[in-house]
Amino acid sequence: MIDETTRAGWAGAYAGYLDSLAAADEYAAIDAAVGLLDGGVPAERVLLDLVAPAQAEVGERWARNEWSVAQEHAATHISERVVAAVAGRAAARPTRGRVVVACMDGEWHALPPRLVAEVLRLRGWQVTFLGASVPPAHLVSYLHRHDAYAVALACALPMRLPQAHHMIEVCRRADVPVVVGGRGFAADGRWARRLGVAWAPDAPSAADLVADERALSRVPAAQLDHLADDEYAGLVKRRAELIDGALADLRDRAPATRAYTPAQLDATVSDLGYIVDFLAAALYVDDGSLFTEFVQWLLPVLTSRKVPAAVLGWTLEHYGRVLHDFPRAARYLDRSRALVGGTGGRAA
Amino acid sequence: MAADARGVDPGDGRVRAPGTGRVSGRPGGARPLAQRAGDRPPAAADWSEVVAHLREGLVVCDADEVVQHVSPVAQQLLPEVVPGRPLGAAGVPGLGAAGDLAGLVHRGRRLAVRRAPLAGGRCCWYVEDVTESAGRAEALVAERARAAFLARAGEKLGNPLHPDRAAAAVARLAVPTLADVAVLVLAPRAGRARWWRAVRAADEAPVVDAGVLPGGDLPPAIGEALAGAQPHALDWLVQQAAEAGWLPGLAPEATDVRVVPLPGVEAPAGVLLVARPADRWYDEADVDLLRAFAARASAALIAAALYRDQAEVADMLQASLLPVEPVETAGVEWGTAYRPAVTGLRIGGDFYGAHRLADGGSLFFLGDVAGKGVDAAVFTGQLRQSLQALHRVESRPGPLLGLVNDALLETTQAHGQGRFATLVLGVVRPHRDGGLTLTMAGGGHLPPLVLRAGGEVETVPLRGMLIGVVPDPRIGEVTVRLAPGETCVLYSDGVTEARGGPRGEDQFGGRRLVDALTGCHRMPAPALAERIEQVTCDWLTHDDHDDIAVLALRAVGRTPRHLHAVPARGPGESA
Repeated sequence: MIDETTRAGWAGAYAGYLDSLAAADEYAAIDAAVGLLDGGVPAERVLLDLVAPAQAEVGERWARNEWSVAQEHAATHISERVVAAVAGRAAARPTRGRVVVACMDGEWHALPPRLVAEVLRLRGWQVTFLGASVPPAHLVSYLHRHDAYAVALACALPMRLPQAHHMIEVCRRADVPVVVGGRGFAADGRWARRLGVAWAPDAPSAADLVADERALSRVPAAQLDHLADDEYAGLVKRRAELIDGALADLRDRAPATRAYTPAQLDATVSDLGYIVDFLAAALYVDDGSLFTEFVQWLLPVLTSRKVPAAVLGWTLEHYGRVLHDFPRAARYLDRSRALVGGTGGRAA
Repeated sequence: MAADARGVDPGDGRVRAPGTGRVSGRPGGARPLAQRAGDRPPAAADWSEVVAHLREGLVVCDADEVVQHVSPVAQQLLPEVVPGRPLGAAGVPGLGAAGDLAGLVHRGRRLAVRRAPLAGGRCCWYVEDVTESAGRAEALVAERARAAFLARAGEKLGNPLHPDRAAAAVARLAVPTLADVAVLVLAPRAGRARWWRAVRAADEAPVVDAGVLPGGDLPPAIGEALAGAQPHALDWLVQQAAEAGWLPGLAPEATDVRVVPLPGVEAPAGVLLVARPADRWYDEADVDLLRAFAARASAALIAAALYRDQAEVADMLQASLLPVEPVETAGVEWGTAYRPAVTGLRIGGDFYGAHRLADGGSLFFLGDVAGKGVDAAVFTGQLRQSLQALHRVESRPGPLLGLVNDALLETTQAHGQGRFATLVLGVVRPHRDGGLTLTMAGGGHLPPLVLRAGGEVETVPLRGMLIGVVPDPRIGEVTVRLAPGETCVLYSDGVTEARGGPRGEDQFGGRRLVDALTGCHRMPAPALAERIEQVTCDWLTHDDHDDIAVLALRAVGRTPRHLHAVPARGPGESA
């Protein structure tokens, strides 16, 4: 029964909420969310239809270089406080088993799994949220101490898939079923299927999956026979060499890079590293689209920060040259270079 | 199975015809195949003699399937087959039909039969006794299946599991190989016995459930087995298990049940009861397999309990050594981050904290003890306790740091060994304008950073000597004013000494830290602390790092109008 007034009210609440995130006004943001709860909006809706889309918008504003990293961090922190406030208001006594929710090691996007944790809590599960970047050893010792019915793991960046696989195996060895989610497993979850793990596209489906014991235990086998070609392991081994070479190549072809500040140099080195890591992850799941999707995402991020597309093209070309005896990697690089467009030559 | 009177040699499965054990020179009979050279020219093979030495018996039929010839071996295997009569009349099932017969059982022997067409529409049946070789193959397959089952069970149970998971896994693994219904009963604790049961489900994983019984309500046979006795009266066992309601879908009169104890250190750790329909009764090999499985199961259960106890003790000790979140202080927003080097432990040599002072201010500190791991963590505990006690008699940071130094030195001298620490200690007092005054004393720690309202980062000039090394060390002192919205950040060397870069050889360093904070003046203190933790961890090339600790204090201006109770952690959250 969403009539026009509530629809308009909702849009207004959403816009106001975004404004308070932009102003880093924690109290206004909490007021907005709690006001909706007091107005009778269910907690799950506040979390999934207000907090979640606002957070997605925050990420997009960062990608378009409209917001600084600092603004993004501040907004994320406020979203977390809002989630805590909403959860505190809607606290339900747990009636079901224990579910552990955690981010993969090295993964700092804690808000989406936090929302999953709260939705599970609202549905009666006893939830433990271990937070961002959980080391596998920490998770294992937790599972030894507390009998978990299931573990929910989040991965936002596909480049963490090899580590994600390790984490999944750790839970398997502890004989605890795993459900994964997050953009890191692709929009359709195909990389979760490749790793042989149950996947949920969003918080409500994750809650449904956890409630379905049979579905949770019926997991297809991992399809990772391609790892036998050692391309993944070989690429990881040559990571530093690749980055060094790409940097030298850039300095050669784009003289402007020689005048970079130390901070710009760090950013370039870490970008060059991300490219290698995404390529490695694509090899790990044997899916070139992982790498091309990354390049498609990276292009506007770089151009909005005044890095010409040609620079990315040169790096892809350089990696392709060095990795000529890595047939799968070379194929992925070729395909992504076509996306970047005209390469070759020097910077003006 | 004993060899019968047909001259069967069960040793190699070969059937030897009587009278053919040696070469005979019967007139018109067989002739030796090999003649000595120069004796006589080689003769054509005498087929009847050759045939007598074959493992396969031969039955030759004419085009009308009337038997023409039966070799001695075939005669023994198929005495019903007589020359001159139709093969079908012999009444041997399967014989006479076209095609190969792999598994014909006749007169207690397993026969492999095949039919080959001969010239003129005739045909020949080759019959071989494969009883022994088939039996051996079956035994081998069964043995392999048992070994594979134990390997799979060992693999599952070899990983450290939570005790309840281990118990459920034991019951589940027993189905379907060992049982249709498997019940694991653990030795009663405090008069109550917990049990797990797995029941075979069609085409699916077994269904596992669990429950608790008062020790007195256990079936007597189970109680006896838990006391270490081997139950013998199997009929009673079925009855008792059925009465306990443990055998769904099995008729007690047609069910075979076994009970094995799970060997423990003193008494059995538990008892495994297995049941399946009597047509698949437990033979000696099955019972051996059951015992081998029980031994593995019991090792897993004992290891799981030890693991859990250890984790519990470690958790309790860790909880007392973990940094305590700073107390709420008017005008101050605290932010903290903590990431110990030894991740499995969650404790380390870095520490921070805050205590409220009687005058409305707060004492705060962040420090780093030499070393990492448990030793360092225990030492931080001593340090924090010293601070907790000493701040009641001395709240001026400089003199308080001097007292801490004396206390550490005394401990070191008393034990003949000790550690030193670096430490920043401060007192924060709020002002009416919403700003804060921070008076800080430094003992050899990295100087704090201040994030000004304009977004720029300043390094606080704070030096001093290590704490716990010499009596009366030089202690640095400094006073810093924070306007509303400004933040002071204390951090440990795990941040600046994090190793990263393409080869993992470059330290993160102060410059990168300052860069990461510049422009972050609008960030709430907790977000700022998390940001430092995150950029540090992102910088790391390898997983290993020193302890990382961050304590941030932000002047929030006027008292927050915030009225909603926001728990620092969600309800029910206890890491």
